[in-house]
Amino acid sequence: MNTVLTSARHEILCTLRARVAVLLLVVFLGMVSLSSLIGWITNTTVTRVYEKILADGLTTAPNPFAAVSALYYSRNSVIYVVLIGALMAIILGVQATLRDRKSATVDLVLSRPVNTVARILGQFLGLGAVIAVVLAASTTISWAAIGVIIGTPLGVDPTLRLMGFAAVSWVLMMIFALLGMLTGLYSRKETTALLVPFVVWSAIAFVLPQVGTAARPVALLNPVPALAASGGTSFDLIGALTGPFAITEQFKRVASIVLRDDSVTGNPVASILLLLAVLIAMIWIVVVTPRRALRSGLNE
Amino acid sequence: MSDTWIVAEKELLDLRRDRLFAILIGFLAIASLISVAVASADFRNQLDAYNLYVTNLAQSGSTVTAAAPQLFPLKLLRGGIEYLEILGALFAIVLGYGTIAKEKYRGTLALFLSRPVSRFSFAGGKVLGLSIVWLGVVVVLTAVSLVAVVTIGHAPIGGIDVARLLIAGGFAWLYLVFWTALAVGLTALSTRLSTGLIVALVIWLAFVLIIPQIGDTMDPDNQVPGGLFATLNIQKTDELSVLAQFSAFDGIRNGLEVSSVTKHFERLTFAFLGIKDQYNQLPLGLVWTAMLPYAITLTAATLASVVFAALATTRRTLQRNQS
Amino acid sequence: MTTSAISTSALSRSFGAHQALADLTLDVAQGEVFGLLGHNGAGKTTTVNLLTTLLEPTAGDASISGHSVKTDAAGVRACIGYLPENVQFYDNLTLLENLRFFARLSGLRRPDARIRDVLGFLDFTGHDTQRVGTFSKGMRQRVGIAQAVLHSPAVLFLDEPTSGLDPEGVRTLRETIVRLNHEFGMTIFMNTHLLSEVTKTCTSIGILNHGRLVHHDSMTNTLAAFPADESLEDIYFQLDSAAA
Repeated sequence: MNTVLTSARHEILCTLRARVAVLLLVVFLGMVSLSSLIGWITNTTVTRVYEKILADGLTTAPNPFAAVSALYYSRNSVIYVVLIGALMAIILGVQATLRDRKSATVDLVLSRPVNTVARILGQFLGLGAVIAVVLAASTTISWAAIGVIIGTPLGVDPTLRLMGFAAVSWVLMMIFALLGMLTGLYSRKETTALLVPFVVWSAIAFVLPQVGTAARPVALLNPVPALAASGGTSFDLIGALTGPFAITEQFKRVASIVLRDDSVTGNPVASILLLLAVLIAMIWIVVVTPRRALRSGLNE
Repeated sequence: MSDTWIVAEKELLDLRRDRLFAILIGFLAIASLISVAVASADFRNQLDAYNLYVTNLAQSGSTVTAAAPQLFPLKLLRGGIEYLEILGALFAIVLGYGTIAKEKYRGTLALFLSRPVSRFSFAGGKVLGLSIVWLGVVVVLTAVSLVAVVTIGHAPIGGIDVARLLIAGGFAWLYLVFWTALAVGLTALSTRLSTGLIVALVIWLAFVLIIPQIGDTMDPDNQVPGGLFATLNIQKTDELSVLAQFSAFDGIRNGLEVSSVTKHFERLTFAFLGIKDQYNQLPLGLVWTAMLPYAITLTAATLASVVFAALATTRRTLQRNQS
Repeated sequence: MTTSAISTSALSRSFGAHQALADLTLDVAQGEVFGLLGHNGAGKTTTVNLLTTLLEPTAGDASISGHSVKTDAAGVRACIGYLPENVQFYDNLTLLENLRFFARLSGLRRPDARIRDVLGFLDFTGHDTQRVGTFSKGMRQRVGIAQAVLHSPAVLFLDEPTSGLDPEGVRTLRETIVRLNHEFGMTIFMNTHLLSEVTKTCTSIGILNHGRLVHHDSMTNTLAAFPADESLEDIYFQLDSAAA
C-alpha cells in the first residue's frame, strides 16, 4: 500500500511539474470552456436566423432549436475528449513509464523493496487522479457556462448527467493513458512509444468506424456516433464485428445518451460495460509488466 | 557534391532501414485502400437500393423514372484524402521530429557540426531528404489509389482523371512537406526532445482536427438533425438571402476554417478530384481559376514552414541541453 | 569470527552466448570496504546488478546479509543502498521531493527528519527546494549518496562512484565513503577504475578479468605480496595480465 500511495503521489508531482503536461491540460480545459461559448454564439445566431425566417413569413413551424436540451451546449466536449483528452492521456501515460527508463531512475526504484505491480498501479492511480481533477474542473466550467447561457443554474438531473459524462470520459481517457503506459514500458525508442499509441488511437477512432459504418474520417469528428450505412447487410455484419473495438464510437454513444442528444437512442449500459471491460483488461496487461521490461534501456 | 545533398542522401539511406517509417507508410496505404473499398461497397449498396426501388416502381405500374446514382471514380478517394489530411500530417510530424531527435540523442550532431559545413546545410539537407521521401510516398499512394479505384471500385479511369489525381498528389506533397518542416524547426528549437514533438502534436490537433471541427459546428444548418433549413422547408434561394443577413457570423466561421492549412489542402483536392459537387466535371482550367488563391496559400505556407525550419535549426539551437 | 555481509557462490550471468560473469565465489565481511577492479567489460557492473537484484543470475547464488538474491530478493532490497554510475534523478522535482520519494519507497513513513540528518552528514544543506535539474555533476553525486543511505542500509553498492567528478569531488566522495564505513559500520562494495582511490579507501580488493575473479585478498596482503616500491597500478597490471 505504501508503494502504491508513494508512486501515486510522485506521479502527480512529476506530471504537474512537466511543462508539456500542463500545456496539454490547459488546452483541454480551454477547449471545453470555448466549446460552451461557441455553442452559445451559435445558438444565438441560429435563433436569430429562425426569427428572421419567421419574420419574413417563410415558415410557421416552431423553432426546432427551442426543444433542444440545455446539455446540448456540452456536446462538443464529447469530441474534445476523443481528440484532445485521449491524446493528452496517451502522452501522460507514455511520460509516466518512460520517465524512469529514460533517466535510469528505475534502478534506484527497483533496488528498493518495491513490488512492480504496486509501483505501476500507483503510477496509474496518480495519473487517474490528475485526469479526474481536470475532468472535475472542465465539468464545473461547463456547468457554470451552461447556467449563464440559459440564465438559470442547472437542475439536479442535468447536473448528474454532466457528472456521469465526466465519469465515462475518465474511463475512456484512462484506457488511452494505459495504452501510453504500455508502449512507454515496452518501446525501445521514445518516438515509437509516442507514435504507436497514436496510430492505435487513429485506427480506433477512424479506421474501425469507417469499416463498420462507411463513415468517412472527417465525418467521425462529429460528436454523435456514426450510423451504419443504409441498405447494406455487409456493413451491418462488419459493424457488428468491429463495433466492440471501436471504443471511441462506444464512448460517443454513451455520451450522447447521457447528454440527452435526441439523435441517439437506446440503452447505454452495454457500451458502458464494454468500456469498463477494456479498462480492466488494460490495467491487467500493464500491471503484469515484468521487472526486466521496466529496466530495459532506450535506443533513442 | 554539396553539404546539403550529402545530408539529404544520408537521410534517405537512414530511412530506408527504418522499420517504423515502413509501418507508418504501410498503415497509410492500407487505410487509403480500405476507404476506397468502403466507398465502393457503399456505392454498390446505393445502386442495389436504387435497382430495388426501380423494380418496385415497375411492378406497381408506375411510369415515373428516378435518376440512377452516378459513379464518379475519383469521389471514391475522399476517404483517402481525409486520411492524408489527418494521419498524413501526423506521420509527417513524426518523421520531421525523428530526423532531428536521432541526431541530438545519438550525439552524432557534434560530429557533423565539428566539420566545415555551411549554415543551412543541416536543416536544408534534412528537409530536402524528407521532401524526397514524401515525394516517393505520394507517388506510391497515388498509384495505389489508381489501382484501387480500378480494381476494387470497378470504375473506369480516363486520362483527365489521372491528370486530376496528379495535381491532387502535388498538393498532398506540399501539405506533407509543410508539416515535416514545421516539426523539424520545432524539434530543433526545443531543449527537451519530446517537447518539440508534443508542441508539434498540439499544433496538429488544433489545426487539423479542432479548428475545422469548430467551423463545422458553427454552421447554422448543422445545428438541427437533418439541417435547419430542410426542417423548416426553406428553399435554397430563400436560404441564401436569409444567410446573407448573417454574413459577419459566416465570415468568422469561414475565417476560422481558412486559418487551418488543412482546409486549404482539403478544398484544393476536393475541387480537383471533383469530390465537391460544385467542381465535379468542371474543366480543369475553371477549377484552377477558382482554386488559385488556395494553391498560392498552401504553397506559401509550405515555403514559410521550410524557411522556419532553416532559420530555427542553428548551431545554437541544436546544441542546447537535451534529455 | 566475522559474518559475511556479501557471499556469492558460483554466481554466473550470460547474455545470450556471452558469459558476462562466470562462477564468482566471493565473501565480503561485515564492515569491509571492498573494491572490485577490472577493465571495461570485465563484468563489474553485471556483478553489482546481480547483487542488487536488478539482474537475475543464470546460475549460482548470492546472499546479502543472509538474504538470497534468488529466493529472497525483497529481503535483499530492504537491506541495501545503491548508487549507479552516472546517477540521474527526476529533474523537475526538488532535492527534497526526490529524496522523499526514494525514502518512502524504502519504507520510511515520515522521512523529512532523516533526510535533513543525511544532508547534514553530507554537508549538503541549503538546496532543499532547488530543482535537481539545476545541479552540477558533483551535487548530483551527493544526492546519489543521500538517496542510497537514507534508510541506513547494511550494505552499500557504489558503481564507479568517482566517474566524471573533478579532483575536489573525488576527495569529498572518498571522505564520505570512509566516514560511512567508520561511523555507521556500513559494508561498502564498489566498482572503480581509479586505483588511487582503492588504495586510500578499500580494505580488500577483487580483480575481474573477462567475467572471472582472478584475485581476491585484503589490501594489506595484496600490497605485501609485491615489492614495496610497486604501486597498486603495477600490481593490478601484473595480476590482470597473468590471468589473460
